[in-house]
Amino acid sequence: MPNNKGTLEIRSLSKSFIVDNNSLQILNDINLTVHSGAFVTIVGSSGCGKTTLLRIMLGLENHYTGEALIDGKQIIGPGSDRGIVFQDHRLLPWLTVGENVAFGLDKLKRKEKKLLVDEHLKLVGLNGFESAYPSQLSGGMAQRVAIARALASKPEILLLDEPLGALDALTRMYMQQELERLWLLEKITMIMVTHDIDEAIYLSDKVVIMSSRPGVIKKIIDVPLSRPRNRASSDFTRIKAEILEEFHLGTEYPFAYAI
Amino acid sequence: MKRLAISKKTKAILGGIAFPIVLTGLWQLFIFAGFSSARFLPPPFKVFQKFVILFSDPAYSQHIAVSLQRVMIGFFIGTLAGFLFGLLMGLSKTAEKIFAPFFHAVRQVPMIGWIPLIIMWFGMNELPRVLIISVAAFYPITLNTFSGVRNVPREYLELASVYGFKGLTLIKKIIIPAALPSIATGISLGLAMSWSVLMVAEIFIQTAFGVGTQIQKGRDRFDIALVIAGIITVGVLGYAMTVLVQKIVQAVERGRVISTEK
Repeated sequence: MPNNKGTLEIRSLSKSFIVDNNSLQILNDINLTVHSGAFVTIVGSSGCGKTTLLRIMLGLENHYTGEALIDGKQIIGPGSDRGIVFQDHRLLPWLTVGENVAFGLDKLKRKEKKLLVDEHLKLVGLNGFESAYPSQLSGGMAQRVAIARALASKPEILLLDEPLGALDALTRMYMQQELERLWLLEKITMIMVTHDIDEAIYLSDKVVIMSSRPGVIKKIIDVPLSRPRNRASSDFTRIKAEILEEFHLGTEYPFAYAI
Repeated sequence: MKRLAISKKTKAILGGIAFPIVLTGLWQLFIFAGFSSARFLPPPFKVFQKFVILFSDPAYSQHIAVSLQRVMIGFFIGTLAGFLFGLLMGLSKTAEKIFAPFFHAVRQVPMIGWIPLIIMWFGMNELPRVLIISVAAFYPITLNTFSGVRNVPREYLELASVYGFKGLTLIKKIIIPAALPSIATGISLGLAMSWSVLMVAEIFIQTAFGVGTQIQKGRDRFDIALVIAGIITVGVLGYAMTVLVQKIVQAVERGRVISTEK
């Protein structure tokens, strides 16, 4: 049975912050539809409002004009239909790995809780670590626990705010494969903000390119490649060139892709 | 090498008692050199003798027990009140605005400054003695609980709001655990304050029992050996209590390393 839950719609959304009595526009007329079960990445330079947009989807930012809808319903505050993985793992240092994964499962019975914790630790390949403390984990492991915590409450949409940004290059590529595996397995919508264009192409069905001051969607690029994707294939490189073009990095500096 | 066989712990203990031994040696030398009459500074041996006499009399243990009990009751009340008050001011900016200026003004008054008023109001009773001990513990615990609660990382609060934790759940699941290291520091400081104020309470609000009364008695009789023995008792007991509280704090902290790294 196809699951149609986890559709996100943003309609003519604009947001401003007031700085020193001046209104500063962060997002301008954003229109975006993310279909159920899709993997969409938002890329853009610093200050383009992509994190603000993700916070709006999460329900942490409530003052804006326009609409932000999940399955046709207006987003009012955070909810268990959405999970979040931040750039810093944000595990609570006084809780064990298991207790951290169970953090959002307050309403469940002990037994159900344990079952979900075991299931999700196993999912991210960390079974046997439930009684370790976050300080004993490496960066990549901690981030996997954070992903397990976000998935344990069974969200329809997983929001990822530069989740791999703090990891070294190799761990990062490994974690990209892990994210893809989890996405294929869980069949939920994933929306990720990233700086890394390779990461965006590797993972997404659609790459949303934003530009700054004010933050607007410049272009949405489809990535119709089959999975798992080969980072060295000519199609991959072609799409990369297309994206880099948007940042005016395409022709002049073919090897510079750091944003 | 044989010497390496001494454990770190033994070394720490040996290091800790080395200085008092040297000091005692100097004290003895000072007397041998004839710089002081035995009336003003008795030799270490006399003080040791005084200890033997004191501890062979069950009354001395009772003095100690009374002092310990007094501190414990005062400290407990002060801790509880300080924790709740610090939590209230930490959670509510309004409460801080209302109470903080008054609190900071009042805590400038040294404990000994309250003694005349307290004696006039309550008389020479147990209540005022316990009261000033609890107030002494109250200040550092309030301050440290307050700053611990105020300095809970914004990231944790955001995480809590994502999961919809509010009110008591938020306090229980995020605020108190995150503030705990700071609260523990406050408790250690509070205990040290209680113990130092104990002497003020026992010497200025006269009583029949307590280590402080023994020091006072030594003074009345011009028995300097008794005064020194009393001071050493207070120092050693205070130190033992501090170590005990540190151990408890460490046990609570074990396994949880608060990291503020991003």
